[in-house]
Amino acid sequence: MFQEKNPVQFSGASKYVLDDELAQIVNISMALEMPLLLKGEPGTGKTMLAHAIAESLKMPLLILNVKSSMKLLEALYQYDTLTRLNDSRFGDSSRDVSNIEAYIKMGKIGQAFTTDTKTVLLIDEIDKADTDFQDDMLDVLDQMQFDIIEIDKTIRAKNRPVIIITSNAKKDLSDPFLGRCNFHHIAFPDADMMRRILDVHFPDQSSEVLNACIETFYRLRDIRGVEKKPATRELINWIRALKADPDFKPKALAKGVPYLGVLFKKSGDMGIVSQSLNRMRF
Amino acid sequence: MFVQFFYTLRERGIPITPTSFLRLHKALRLGLITSIEDFYTAARSILIKSERYFDLYDQIFAHHFKGVALTDPETVELTEVARALLDEWLKHPAQIAAALGVDEKQLKKMTPEELLRYFMDRLKDQTEEHHGGNKWIGTGGTSPVGHSGYHPGGMRVGGVSRSKSAIKVAMERRYRDYSLDGPITEAQMGEALKRLRRMVPHGPKDVVNVDKTIYETMRNAGEVEIVFDRRLTDRLKIILMIDNGGWSMDPYIDIVQTLFNYARSQFKDLKIYYFHNSIYTYVWSDPHRRYKPEPVEEFIRRDPDTRLIIVGDASMAPSELMHRNGAIYFDQREVIPSIDRLKFLAAVFRHAVWLNPQAEEEWHYTWTIGIIEQIFPMFELSLDGLEKAVKQLMARH
Repeated sequence: MFQEKNPVQFSGASKYVLDDELAQIVNISMALEMPLLLKGEPGTGKTMLAHAIAESLKMPLLILNVKSSMKLLEALYQYDTLTRLNDSRFGDSSRDVSNIEAYIKMGKIGQAFTTDTKTVLLIDEIDKADTDFQDDMLDVLDQMQFDIIEIDKTIRAKNRPVIIITSNAKKDLSDPFLGRCNFHHIAFPDADMMRRILDVHFPDQSSEVLNACIETFYRLRDIRGVEKKPATRELINWIRALKADPDFKPKALAKGVPYLGVLFKKSGDMGIVSQSLNRMRF
Repeated sequence: MFVQFFYTLRERGIPITPTSFLRLHKALRLGLITSIEDFYTAARSILIKSERYFDLYDQIFAHHFKGVALTDPETVELTEVARALLDEWLKHPAQIAAALGVDEKQLKKMTPEELLRYFMDRLKDQTEEHHGGNKWIGTGGTSPVGHSGYHPGGMRVGGVSRSKSAIKVAMERRYRDYSLDGPITEAQMGEALKRLRRMVPHGPKDVVNVDKTIYETMRNAGEVEIVFDRRLTDRLKIILMIDNGGWSMDPYIDIVQTLFNYARSQFKDLKIYYFHNSIYTYVWSDPHRRYKPEPVEEFIRRDPDTRLIIVGDASMAPSELMHRNGAIYFDQREVIPSIDRLKFLAAVFRHAVWLNPQAEEEWHYTWTIGIIEQIFPMFELSLDGLEKAVKQLMARH
């Protein structure tokens, strides 16, 4: 059923810098038709990857943001009893009240199954949900079908979506779940990679400024005792802030770091960082 | 194909299922894998399901496809030492060519393989630390094996490079910090300790119980009857006792600090006490062990469901543990030997563990560890040990 050879290959997108290893893994997962589980520190671009895949393969992107209290059914479909009750009382809608199917609304997984084109399905932060949710969901994704009990109908996927799952490793994932995914851990980008990422985001910025920023950024990340280290997102915002400041000169970074609040968001961290910056200076 | 590889991975303790191995073959059959580089990435993403095993995978991959010796976990790893040294030396590139008596043009011609071999040969030649020499590798010394920046056309050590062979990527061991025996971070500790919680209903009844509401409403013949419940909150009580005295604990300050920071920010009902070497009549709630003593006997009044975690190296002179006057401070006149205090605590708190920052292999060298191990279940203060300890603490007795 899904055996048609897939010629689409993923090779990066306009705002996403892809390393070869990850590109290879994405392509293999697509060819094997397996979900790809991405783990890694916040800010390493797990979620961005799905956006990039959708953009470069020109597929619509469906995002299922997992919440801790979520039940699998919400991700599949919902039976809108309230609207049906309302319609049966007042009868002013075009829907046929005796037809339950008119009141079934598809959730994100349901939508991915029923659309006519192939989609990218991003299941974001799966680790928030409990183990049952994860296992049940993988069953559905494995068989590419689910039942709607209310109307006794089985929904089969028209097109097998490209599935990307992200996890922040808040909880360990269960073994059966892991068994059904391909796995990759995105490490925090090193300075070279970061440079390429910044080049994509700030194409017209001089390299002197970017290099100085990257150097300072990694120095700040190395300060010990910081609870929440700044990630790529913070670095980009920080450079934006610096760009907006007309008085800013890259050489000044060696002396003091302006806009620390953009990089460090906990008051405790701010204290530790400014302390150790003071110490460095003397 | 690669059956031996599969079994080596399994033997080394990476949980791999036959299903995933078959899936790898499916990928091979589909023609997705054309080079050993592809195989390295593909096999890793299909077979290995946690970044903790990436490091081990790298080692086994290098072993299997390049014949790199697999080190036993206990022995010092030559490659790792070499890598660390290499990184250090590479900071002084200017001296490289001169010190080796090889000129830069010659260096340019060497392939990365030759460079690596050259480096390893040099390393084996070298038996003592060497500074400023001109043949061996040492601080101020030089070698053609270096960061791409220093060696013209050379290989890169550390960092990420795009044109590197899979084996070298594997040998780089980028994932060492994520492996089970890598340094423990607060986040990892958090992951291990997350399961240490006990949810009980507490506080005002402010959550609607839908199922019960429907049931009660039906019983009430359709008249709405809303049922409220209390919220579930974590009510786990924890007592943490830390050995913070003496030089024997000094090497472990960092890791204990990490544990302590995490515990303080995460557990609502946490009491911390300090002791030195072993527990006698008192423990103290101030780190100086001077102002706020707490008699150990008083702990019998505490909730017996409290989880007791003792952190210490459990290493002391046997007399400190066994004798009635064991305490090393002259002003502490003891009547009961320390071991009986420990037994007392173990009897009061059913859920108790001892976390030992010393590596487990070294435990049998110390007599008192063996004795204390019989009183408290003892675990290594590592990711693995912490997980086991949590399991022990949450087990029903």
